[in-house]
Amino acid sequence: MIGFARAVAPFAAFVTLWAIVVAVFHVPQDVMPSPNAVAVAFGDAIRKGVLTVYTGETIRRILLAASSGALIGVAAGFFVALNDVVADIALPVIRFFQSLSGIAWLPLFIVWFGFSDKTIVVAVWYTLFFPVLFNTVVGVKTVPRVYRNAILTLGGDWRRMVFDVLLPGAIPYIVGGIRIGAAFGWRVLIAAEIVIGAGGLGYFIFKAEAFHLTARIVAGMLTIGTLWYLTDFFVLRPLEEATIERWGLVHR
Amino acid sequence: MPSKITVENVSHEYFNPNTWQRVHALDGLSLEVADGEFLCIVGPSGCGKSTFLYLVAGLAHASSGRILVDGKQVERPGRDRGMVFQDFAILPWRTVERNIGHGLEIAGVARKERDTIVRRYIELMGLSGFENKYPYELSGGMRQRVAVARTLAADPQVVLMDEPFAALDAQTRNVMQEELVRIGMHERKTILFVTHSVDEAVILGDRVVVLTHRPGRVKASIPIEIPREQRRWDVLGAEEQFGRYRQDILRLIREEFDAQERVTA
Repeated sequence: MIGFARAVAPFAAFVTLWAIVVAVFHVPQDVMPSPNAVAVAFGDAIRKGVLTVYTGETIRRILLAASSGALIGVAAGFFVALNDVVADIALPVIRFFQSLSGIAWLPLFIVWFGFSDKTIVVAVWYTLFFPVLFNTVVGVKTVPRVYRNAILTLGGDWRRMVFDVLLPGAIPYIVGGIRIGAAFGWRVLIAAEIVIGAGGLGYFIFKAEAFHLTARIVAGMLTIGTLWYLTDFFVLRPLEEATIERWGLVHR
Repeated sequence: MPSKITVENVSHEYFNPNTWQRVHALDGLSLEVADGEFLCIVGPSGCGKSTFLYLVAGLAHASSGRILVDGKQVERPGRDRGMVFQDFAILPWRTVERNIGHGLEIAGVARKERDTIVRRYIELMGLSGFENKYPYELSGGMRQRVAVARTLAADPQVVLMDEPFAALDAQTRNVMQEELVRIGMHERKTILFVTHSVDEAVILGDRVVVLTHRPGRVKASIPIEIPREQRRWDVLGAEEQFGRYRQDILRLIREEFDAQERVTA
């Protein structure tokens, strides 16, 4: 309960400050709406079903891109890390592609897949894939050799090596990679939705701009921020605690 | 007694990527180890003692010569040759219990039997009450006890120990040495124990082999004729016999150390 209060209190303070600033300086509603106006716009968007549908779209996209991106990223990371020759060839190329965000690929993706849902998901997937892949490679490479030797002298085969030693050993890096990748992917997702216009929260706030529905824009932004915060709080951080911290690999 | 391990004229060279140099670690090392023998290997630092254990374990391949265990040439690591490493190589993400049972898990031993064996080693090693702790919650001494238990629980015929107690404080080290003597009496295993401590070699070994300076060869092989029951620090520390062995071996190592200095000078 105290934890919950501590998580919510800073936001309560922030909203209060916002309300005061808007009231005191008489900011016009179409420049910066009051928290109250935003709440009304929020309720309105939910009642009409727009916000729920668009939020659903966005969540589906991030889940699809994140689950497949993380899974394939980890697998590819292992493939690269365990083959020295592959690593020598692939790593410089991977570094190059990692520096290109999924947004920079959008024009090309649009040419390939059109203004479609597919284009958005592929852009997010791309953005997420490389940090996961890269971190997995680093993670696998940093597992101390002596652990591998220990498993070999206990009679372990390569499957044991991967699942008992390398995977758990690389977990801190992999979780870090997923966190970074998902955070990048989330940003790219909103941006791509704005550009593509095939639904989603990005499209929701961009369309609201056309009608000067400022309160609706802010309501959409709050939804975007809150969704990420909840994901981090309820999924990513518990994941980290369940693995890394329990093993004493990281101390808070 | 039949020979468990036969080492024939083994030489080993490897490339050290840190110093960018070829290291000539062993040069024509030959050795016979009897079944059930506790053999300690000492020598000046850098004489290739650890390299030798890695070769027997199959974690490295000899440049020339061959190593036979039960008449079969060593080609790769296997569960018949367990190894305890210098830096506690137990897995941080497994509890004490699951670390000790890891070898049995790999061997496909049924859950129930595994638990019984793990329980026995937890008691033998004085780890009761720590079954569900993770390594980071343990002291250095306890971690190494987990490592020793893990290797013994997998029931290898040959146990290779690479300065397993070097990182422990003196008190813990003495306790561990006495425990190992006790375990050695209970379970007849062939043990190769590498150490730089002459005291440790004499209290543990049925025989002590002194290696020359690098590239290592066998300089001397000294049977230690002290009954295992008497190998306790409170008894042995004062023994005249113990002191004589100690002096002899120290002198041999000293000769090699001096020779090494002459070579490098």
